[in-house]
Amino acid sequence: MTVKTKPPIAARLVFLLDKAKKRPAEFSLLGPQVVSSIAGLRDSVAMATKDTLWVSYEKDLTAALLKMVCGPPRSLGMAVFVHALSLQSVAGLASCFKRFAFASDHGFLPPDELAEALEAKNAADLFIGGSVDLSSETITLWRGCLTPLTVPFSAFEKSGDGTEPDFARFSVTDFGQTVRLGHYEAAADAILYEFDPDYRRRISRARQQSERSFGASLRRLRKQRGLRREDFEPEIAGKTIARIEQGIVQQVHKKTLAAIARRLRVTPEEIGSY
Amino acid sequence: MPINFPLPESLRKAGWKVKIREKETLEPPHITILHGTKAWRIKLRTGEFMDKQPDPDDVPEEITAFIPKQSNWRSFQEKWDEKYPMNPVQDKDADEAE
Repeated sequence: MTVKTKPPIAARLVFLLDKAKKRPAEFSLLGPQVVSSIAGLRDSVAMATKDTLWVSYEKDLTAALLKMVCGPPRSLGMAVFVHALSLQSVAGLASCFKRFAFASDHGFLPPDELAEALEAKNAADLFIGGSVDLSSETITLWRGCLTPLTVPFSAFEKSGDGTEPDFARFSVTDFGQTVRLGHYEAAADAILYEFDPDYRRRISRARQQSERSFGASLRRLRKQRGLRREDFEPEIAGKTIARIEQGIVQQVHKKTLAAIARRLRVTPEEIGSY
Repeated sequence: MPINFPLPESLRKAGWKVKIREKETLEPPHITILHGTKAWRIKLRTGEFMDKQPDPDDVPEEITAFIPKQSNWRSFQEKWDEKYPMNPVQDKDADEAE
């Protein structure tokens, strides 16, 4: 997944579809124009460009918007729908928004944190919301750049102190830096590091040259998987793993590399990106 | 449960947090200082900031002074080891590799 840098959203036209009185103040960082009526919605559609950001808390106004713009495809910009959407609406909205995120109310950050995360320079590295699919055992997380990242339940392993994720109690917190599953908290950067190869490469580039060797990557990935060097036996001796990690072995045999990759559940080419 | 380290009230009210969460990028062991959309990681083996960005100088002195106090430091290390017994702060592998 490629994450492009973008100009700050605050410089864009922002429409907040909302009838609550207090919420606009919490979005003040984005300087939104508040839309609470059909008439206002009509004016907003006329003003919208491909860079406009829409944030809707009102299912009725979203439905009216969709009705208003149906017809030839056009770009109204990007949108965050802080309410549930029907499958039919999703298809319709896809024809007029280049990117949009949606989830039920409690699936997003609180309004003030949502505004700050959308405006942040590192918006692409923050999770503004998401939803849990119990049938496929996956969580779809929305990044601040409004692209989705879907991860399996298996990514959230029981902690050493016994804390287990409760997938029925999903939320995002810490301005998009933490995914909360009941008492269980997962760092957004750890999720991105594991599931977004582009993010991983970007982080790896920032590391010192010495830490970017194949051995260092192997060690980081082994630790991430919770494996000891001895866990590669009998196929590969623990001592061999140690020698590769320490850079004593520079050329790793193809068969050895394949066996290491198998144990780590990645392809041989992926190891170096960790 | 994530480990939330108690900070002075003024820092808490200003939105500062120091945490060890259940799922972290594991290597090396570290604590995370959170404020708004920014995070700073400090290595539990050496006490150094792990990343050059965001600027470590943006972390208030009260926090950087609080963290290395011996009792706090030991507590951070113990809590990490409880959460990540497979990657302890005092790691034989790390001594060989670092």
